Amino acid sequence: MTSRKTIEMLEASASDQNLLTEKPMSQWRLTLIRFRGRTSGMVGLSIVVMLILVAVFAPLIAPYEPNEVLIGKGEAGPREKPCVHVLGCDEDVEQHILGTDANVRDYFSRIVFGARVSLTLGFFTVTLALIVGSFFGAVAGYVGGWFDNIIMRIMDVILGFPSLLLAIAIVSVLGPGLQNALIAIAVVSIPAYARVMRSQVLTIKESDFVAASTALGASWRHILLRRVVPNALTPLVVLATLGVATAILEAAGLSFLGLGAQPPTAEWGTMLANERNNVFTSPHLVFFPGLAIMITVLGFNLMGDGLRDALDPTLNR
Amino acid sequence: MKTTLKLLWILVVFALIAAACGGDDDSADETTAAPTETTAGTTEAPTETTAATTTQAPSADFAGKVLDAGGCDYGGRVEKISALDEFTVEFDLCGSHPAFLAQIAFSVFGIQPEEHLEATGGAPIDNPVGTGPYVLKDWVRGDSVVYERFDDYYGQKSAHQTAVLRWATESAGRLIELQSGQAAGMTFPGPEDFSVIEGDANLVLLDKPEPNIFYMGFTNTFTPFDDVNVRKAIGLAMDRQRIIDTFYPPGSEVASHFTPCSVEFGCEGEGWYDQNVEEAKALLAEAGLADGFSTKIFYRDVTRGYLPTPGNVAADIQAQLKETLNIDAEVVVMESGEFIQQCSSAGTCDGIHLLGWTGDYPHVTNFLDFHFGADVTQFGAAHPEIYEPLEAGSQETDAGAAAAVYEEANNAIKELVPMVPIAHAGSAFAATSNASGAYAPPWGQVMFNFWDDGNDPLVFVQGNEPISLYCADESDGESLRACAQVVEALYSYDLAGNVQPQLATGCEPNEDLSLWTCTLRQGVTFHDGTTFDANDVVVSFTAGLDASSPLHAGNSGAFDYYSYLWNGLINAPESE
Repeated sequence: MTSRKTIEMLEASASDQNLLTEKPMSQWRLTLIRFRGRTSGMVGLSIVVMLILVAVFAPLIAPYEPNEVLIGKGEAGPREKPCVHVLGCDEDVEQHILGTDANVRDYFSRIVFGARVSLTLGFFTVTLALIVGSFFGAVAGYVGGWFDNIIMRIMDVILGFPSLLLAIAIVSVLGPGLQNALIAIAVVSIPAYARVMRSQVLTIKESDFVAASTALGASWRHILLRRVVPNALTPLVVLATLGVATAILEAAGLSFLGLGAQPPTAEWGTMLANERNNVFTSPHLVFFPGLAIMITVLGFNLMGDGLRDALDPTLNR
Repeated sequence: MKTTLKLLWILVVFALIAAACGGDDDSADETTAAPTETTAGTTEAPTETTAATTTQAPSADFAGKVLDAGGCDYGGRVEKISALDEFTVEFDLCGSHPAFLAQIAFSVFGIQPEEHLEATGGAPIDNPVGTGPYVLKDWVRGDSVVYERFDDYYGQKSAHQTAVLRWATESAGRLIELQSGQAAGMTFPGPEDFSVIEGDANLVLLDKPEPNIFYMGFTNTFTPFDDVNVRKAIGLAMDRQRIIDTFYPPGSEVASHFTPCSVEFGCEGEGWYDQNVEEAKALLAEAGLADGFSTKIFYRDVTRGYLPTPGNVAADIQAQLKETLNIDAEVVVMESGEFIQQCSSAGTCDGIHLLGWTGDYPHVTNFLDFHFGADVTQFGAAHPEIYEPLEAGSQETDAGAAAAVYEEANNAIKELVPMVPIAHAGSAFAATSNASGAYAPPWGQVMFNFWDDGNDPLVFVQGNEPISLYCADESDGESLRACAQVVEALYSYDLAGNVQPQLATGCEPNEDLSLWTCTLRQGVTFHDGTTFDANDVVVSFTAGLDASSPLHAGNSGAFDYYSYLWNGLINAPESE
């Protein structure tokens, strides 16, 4: 009996040794595997990848320059309805698959080039907000004390305002334009990243591996940049993905109000605003930019949700 | 018997006293006879009612008020406004003023009771009292203005007890209200909605031949617009017909002159240049800018009759400048107030600004003097070749001579190109087809008392909420339309744009048109029950015109139209 027990213990020990010698699967690989199992996340990723491709290859996809006025260059007039020959539109009618706008510009081309503006704005805004917010959140969380208090109260003040209202106020001061809209949206997004980063840092800095690094004499900078921040990034990635969608939506809102992209820039919010009065007479001119915004936001939201599920092991139970 | 005799004696004595008083008045001033004569003459006016035109002998103890500028050195147009008696007001002006009647018919110069102006400290911004067909019942901020019929109105009384003025910024929103039957009328449908309205049997389009102009302005104190060749090149390069065809509603036309031809003397002189891109390029090359240059196009994203789709027009002008002259123009959208301040008032916009003008009163001075006068900085330094004939024209009483000076002025405008006139826009109101009496006047404001859609209340929708209801100190059409239902001026405009007596029964000028004597309608009461008399006229003008008056308060205190149309305020501080 004793010998059998001994054998079992030895076998278990050997099995553990095998596990220890086997190369562990990285967190990102595990995440990818889990993400691939999420249908909605994959749909979101597909949409985002498709939008990126459209944005990158816009000059090849769009039949016209986005700002090219076609008056006198063809048969098309202002606010022409969509015409697709393969769908039965008369061959004699000039093909504009999403119609033309009031300035007789090809609407499809403008929608396609609009993807560039929206994605650029979304990514840059989130990157800016992520860098600044993470920096302040990490330092505040790690240093603590009065510095933490000051930083976080400032963030609370910013969070106290409705984000779009604050963005409008910032753009009103800086002046309308795409660049200023980007800055405004980034500023209003900073507190969210700062708070998440701070809460992560507060947890991680109490971990054993951080204590070990401290005991080994590592500098605070080394600990913060090499030990704490990398381990705090997971929720920020999810937040950033969802943040792109919010940023695109807010940018469209600012442009709709005339505070974002300026004419003749092909931007979905501006296109919506320009044609808002024609919602009944030329509904396609309001529908298509609205649809583009919706698909983009949906894509990033689905992808963000998928990422969150994949990155959070507790959700797998 | 004794009692009867006593009563008889008392009656005789009173009769003698009354006769004596009347005789004194007549002998003292011949003008006091005017109300009787003129009142009789105004029975042809469509708004006249016999009940309200009872002639009264002017009261002997009437203390007429006077607004006295103390001369004309202050630069304004008014020297003195005097209440000669209860029903006679005299306007003593600093020189001839042929457009006097057209000007005082403007609803900004509405008359309110002196007691009310004093009680409100000269700021009846939400409680105006007038003589009009409606009494203001309520102004529900952010929602509507509600009026009640004024049963003692001397003119045509409304068929409905209540009228409601609402607003919706987007023309599509206004159209929905009309289509759903929630409103009887609306202002300014969008260009694309004209065909929708015309195709709907339940709706009717009301043509509004509103004289207006849309133009591209340059400020000649900034390079390269200090060079007339650059300005002229742009004037020659623009395909104005393309703008009309693409962005304007039916009834619009390419502007041949700054002033619409429906205004007398507006189209004297040569018409504007036809498009000639080659000549434009040559002129630009002559200015040393053969490869084009960079500039800005300033505009405000505010829809007006003269510019129904500002963003689209700005984008097309931007495209045309690039296509024809290789000019890179950045489109700059400005907040409305800032835009007017910088590009119009101060002349500090260093590019091309897109602006327009809708006539306030039917006289050429309203278009030309306001834009090209000696003190106007909108287009930079004023051109004497333009403003000198304008100054002569504004005082010219002979039609032939006036035509000659306006020809000279218009030709100078064409030669010096301070702006490029683009369009005289067609505009319209819309109504439900069951609204009898629905109309859209070219001048002045639409009056709801003529409308009847069989509903009570009658609902009318305009573009924006009034800023205030004291229109002496307002200049936007939405406020003026709201005020006009309540407050009336001495004159008004008929559908043809001719002036017609309103609170006055007539105004007679002296030979050189510098002294105007107005006889007032008698038996008119204000909504607060007080009787309309000459002092109300003097005090209403004092409140607007005399900057030192305690009644000169208003909403913003700017009194823009008083200042502009009377060439400045009396006792204005240095900064004004």
